[in-house]
Amino acid sequence: MRFLVRPFALCLLIASLTSCGPVIWQRLTLNQPITKDEVAFIHEGQTYLSEVAQELGAPDEILNLKNRLVARYHFSDTRYFRINFGWGLRFFIPYYTPDLVLSGGGSGTDVFDVACDSHLVVQETSFAFHKSSSRFNFWPWD
Amino acid sequence: MTCVRPLLLLVAVVILTGGCAFVRGTYGEEVKPLDLSSIKKGTTTRAEVATFLGAPERIVEVNDHEIFQYYHFDMKSGLLLFFSRTNVISEDVFVFFDKNGIVEDIVVGKKKPVPEMQFWPFGE
Repeated sequence: MRFLVRPFALCLLIASLTSCGPVIWQRLTLNQPITKDEVAFIHEGQTYLSEVAQELGAPDEILNLKNRLVARYHFSDTRYFRINFGWGLRFFIPYYTPDLVLSGGGSGTDVFDVACDSHLVVQETSFAFHKSSSRFNFWPWD
Repeated sequence: MTCVRPLLLLVAVVILTGGCAFVRGTYGEEVKPLDLSSIKKGTTTRAEVATFLGAPERIVEVNDHEIFQYYHFDMKSGLLLFFSRTNVISEDVFVFFDKNGIVEDIVVGKKKPVPEMQFWPFGE
């Protein structure tokens, strides 16, 4: 029976590491990041919003801000990590499997704002970078 | 007993393939260039836009101008063993109306690339 133990242990190890099991790294992204080089063609006071959309795609959101509007482009990045140390116990305690889960993650959104006047001419542009808050966290007590 | 190894291999394969999923989803109707070509700046009315493109998902009012917003999201998600990645691309269309409800401008971008089917969550 000894020759059976090693393959079976290997199978158990593989099973315990598969996604239906205890460990998973997950990531969700919305849209593509926009760099400063990609927006170099925008000249404040000259470029129209429709020209910006031709280059960058249509914005994700348009906001009303007093006498002007702001078109916003979003790039969101979310990362999540989860490990369940109790998962393997189901092979030994089939009727009750306690969970011992460590998990953590983060989400960040980079935003590119284009402020336009009432004639849809670009007046200002600005970036907000928050993507660095997206990370896998193993240790939730930090 | 000679069938034990193939059996264990089969179990391993079943378990591994059981940890795979590939998902594709969309939200909202994609606005076709043909539909947009029937909208003319300065002549097409709000009601005609609603006839061509359907009712907008969202209406924004900016400086007494109405804006119709049409959403379209395209999603691909891959799961392989213990790695998962979901990519979503949004592609919206905005139609601006003047105070008389006539189309003033259409903001539609160039076609964005289709989201990639990926499962590796690390890197860019």
